[in-house]
Amino acid sequence: MTVKKMKRRAILAFVQDKPGTLNKISMMIRRKMYNVDTLTVCKAKAAGVSRMTITLREDDETKVLQVIRQLEKFTEVIRAKELDREQSYWREVAIIKFELEKKAFEKLQKKYQVEILDAQPHDIYIVQIAGPTERIDSFLKDVGSEHFIEIARTGVTAMDK
Amino acid sequence: MKGTELVLRALHAKGVKYIFGYTGGAIMPIFDEMEKQKLFTFIMPRHEQGASFMAQGLSRASLSTDTPQIGVCMATSGPGAMNLVTGIADAHMDSVPMVSITGQVATGVIATDAFQESDVVGVMMPICKQTYMPLTTEEVEKTVHEAFYVATTGRFGPVVIDLPKDVQVQSVGEKYSFNPKTFRPKLPGFYYHPSPEREVVHQAIEMMNRSERPVMFCGHGVISSNAGAMLQEFAEKTNIPVAFTLHGLSAMPVDHPLSLGMMGMHGTVEANRAIMNADLIISFGMRFDDRVTGKLNEYAKNADVIHVEIDPSELDKNVATTVAINADVYRTLHVMLHDPELVSKPRRRWLKEVADNRKVTLDGVAEELASGVGDDGKLLMKSIISRLSDITAGKDIIVPDVGQHQMMAARFYNYQTNNSWFASGGAGTMGCSLPMAIGAKLARPDERVWSISGDGGFQMNMQELCTIMEQGTDVKIMILNNGYLGMVRQWQTLFFDGRYAGTPMTSPNYELIAKAYDLPYQKVTDLDQVDAAIRAAIDHNGAYILEFICDPSEVILPMIPSGGGFGDMIVSRPKS
Repeated sequence: MTVKKMKRRAILAFVQDKPGTLNKISMMIRRKMYNVDTLTVCKAKAAGVSRMTITLREDDETKVLQVIRQLEKFTEVIRAKELDREQSYWREVAIIKFELEKKAFEKLQKKYQVEILDAQPHDIYIVQIAGPTERIDSFLKDVGSEHFIEIARTGVTAMDK
Repeated sequence: MKGTELVLRALHAKGVKYIFGYTGGAIMPIFDEMEKQKLFTFIMPRHEQGASFMAQGLSRASLSTDTPQIGVCMATSGPGAMNLVTGIADAHMDSVPMVSITGQVATGVIATDAFQESDVVGVMMPICKQTYMPLTTEEVEKTVHEAFYVATTGRFGPVVIDLPKDVQVQSVGEKYSFNPKTFRPKLPGFYYHPSPEREVVHQAIEMMNRSERPVMFCGHGVISSNAGAMLQEFAEKTNIPVAFTLHGLSAMPVDHPLSLGMMGMHGTVEANRAIMNADLIISFGMRFDDRVTGKLNEYAKNADVIHVEIDPSELDKNVATTVAINADVYRTLHVMLHDPELVSKPRRRWLKEVADNRKVTLDGVAEELASGVGDDGKLLMKSIISRLSDITAGKDIIVPDVGQHQMMAARFYNYQTNNSWFASGGAGTMGCSLPMAIGAKLARPDERVWSISGDGGFQMNMQELCTIMEQGTDVKIMILNNGYLGMVRQWQTLFFDGRYAGTPMTSPNYELIAKAYDLPYQKVTDLDQVDAAIRAAIDHNGAYILEFICDPSEVILPMIPSGGGFGDMIVSRPKS
C-alpha cells in the first residue's frame, strides 16, 4: 500500500510546565490517530510556561482545527494555534556522525558550511547543521546513507514572523 | 490539621452531604476521619462501579433542584480505583459533574508496583475532565476546591483526585491558611465563555426569521443549564418544532404540540423527517453524535446549522455550522428570546408537514399498544412503559439501563417533569440503572424513581439491591425480562440473518433474589396484571421489584441502521 504523504502541519502550544501535560497532549494526538512527526518542548518567556511545537501530517483543515480545539480544551493548555508555513520559521538542528573521504567532505563543506564538532582519524566526522528540515535532508542526501554512522535530530521548533 | 480533615472540610464547604464509597488500605484514613466527624451520610455500594453511578444519579437529579449537589465517590487504590473507571468514563461522555477521590499508595513507594498500586492518574487522564494528585498536605484543600470548580464550570464533567496515603495522614504546617471564600483557581488555560457574542446572535435571529422550515434541537446542554422552560417559551414564540436528543428528553413536556420527540437512530419519523427536510437547524447544547446524525454526508443536506454549545471543541466537529455560538444555552436563549428583531411566524405549511409525518407510525404503534402482547402472547415492552406513563401521568423519574428497553422508555414515556430522565447515552453502560436510581432518589426524595432494566443490564449491578436494602431506598425496580440481550438481538434479526450469537441469556430466579434482599416482588406475565402490578409497586412504601416476562421478538422502530442515512430509516417491521 502506498501512502500519499500529507501536508506537514506545525502546531504551537503554550502550556503549563507541570508533570502530565505532555502525557495528556500526546495521548489526545494518539487518540486522533496521528503519528507525531516531531515534538519539541522548551521553557517559554513567562515563568511556569512551556512552549511546545508539534508537527504532524494532515491535509484536512477542519481536522487540524479539531486538534487545536481539543488542545485548547485542556486546562493545562493556555493557547494553541497552527503556524502558517509561509508566515513562520521552522527550524531544526542535527548532529551527524559519518565516514567520508576528506575530499568529498571538503566539497560538501563548501556547499553547506556546517559546524565541525569533531574530525577523527580515518575520515570520521561529527558535524552540526541547523536550518529548515529540507536543508538537513539535503545535506544527509549529499553525504549518502552508506556513509552514516549516527544521526541525531532535534525535531522542529518554530516561530511566527 | 491532617490531609484527611482538609479533604472533608473542603467537601463540606462544597455542600456535599452524601459520600458513596468503598474503603480499603489506601483510603482508610479518610473513612476514619469521616466516622469521627459524622458530617456526611455514608452510602456503601457493593461494588465501586455502583458508587460512581450513584454519584452520577445524585448530580444529575439534583441539578434542577434548589440545592444542586455534586456526587462524590471514593475508592481505595488499585482495584478500587479501577472499578470506578467505567462510571467515570460514562460521566465524561455524558458531561456529568462528579468528583472521585481515590486513595493511592504512599508517595515513597509510588511506581514501585506496591501492593494495590495502579497508575490512577495515567488511567483516568483520557476519560475524565481533570486529574489531580496532590503531593503535599498543603495542596489538598485547594485541590478539592479546584476540582469542584472544574467539574461544574463550562461543560460539566468528572474529576479525579488521587490522594497518596502519606499526604492524607500528614499535618499541614502552623502557617497553613486557606480561605475558600477568596480562593480562585489559577487556571490560565481554562476557557469558559458563557455569554454569547451579540453579532452571532443577530445572525442567528436573522436566519430564524428567514427560515421556512426550521427545527430546534434540544440537547443535554438545555438540561444542564436549566433552560427547559425557556426553550419551550422560545419554541412557542417562534413556532419552531423541537426534536430531542436522548439526553434532551424531559427538558419540556414531550407531548407538547411543538415536540417531535426523540431524533436519531431510534427517533420518531416526525423528528427525523423534519430534520431531513429542514432548511435550518437551531441546535442547543448537543454534539451531533453518530446516533443522532447517521451518515454524515447525507445529514440535513438542505439545512443551515446554528449551533449553540458551551464547549468550543464540539463546534464544527461532526457537522459544519453556518453560525457557531460558543456560549451557555440558558444565556443564549435568554438573549434570543428578548431580541426585538425576533419574528413570530405561523409557519402553517411546515407545521402541517410535520403533523402529517406524525401519522406515519401512529396506527401501527396504536395497534401494538392496544394489543400489548407480541405474536407469542408475551408482553411488549412498549406497552408496559406506556402503561407506566399513563398510571404515573408522566410525572415520575425514569432511570433506564442500556439497550432496547431504554429506547422504549425514551419513546413511550410521556415526560412531564423537568429533568426526570437519566440514561447512559454516550458510553451506553449496561448496569448503570440500579445504582444511578439510588443516587437520583437521594437527590429527590419526594419524587418517585423507577429503575428500568433489561435482564442483561440488571444482572450487571444486581448487587446494589443490598445497598437498597441497607439504606431503605425507595426505588421502584422494573426488570423487562425477554431472555435475551434485546438490542443486539434486534440487530441480529435485522442485519445478521437471525443468528443469535451470545444474546440468549438465563436469569436467576428473581423472586428468590428479591427474597434474599428482603424486597417485595411480583412476576407479571399477563397483560391484565400489568396495571395492578405497577399500582402495587407505587402503593408500597419502599423498594419493589416487578419482573415482566417480555416478547423477545419485539423490536424498537423506527430505526436508522448504523452508518445509514435518514433515508434508510426502517419504519415498519419486516415481515418474516
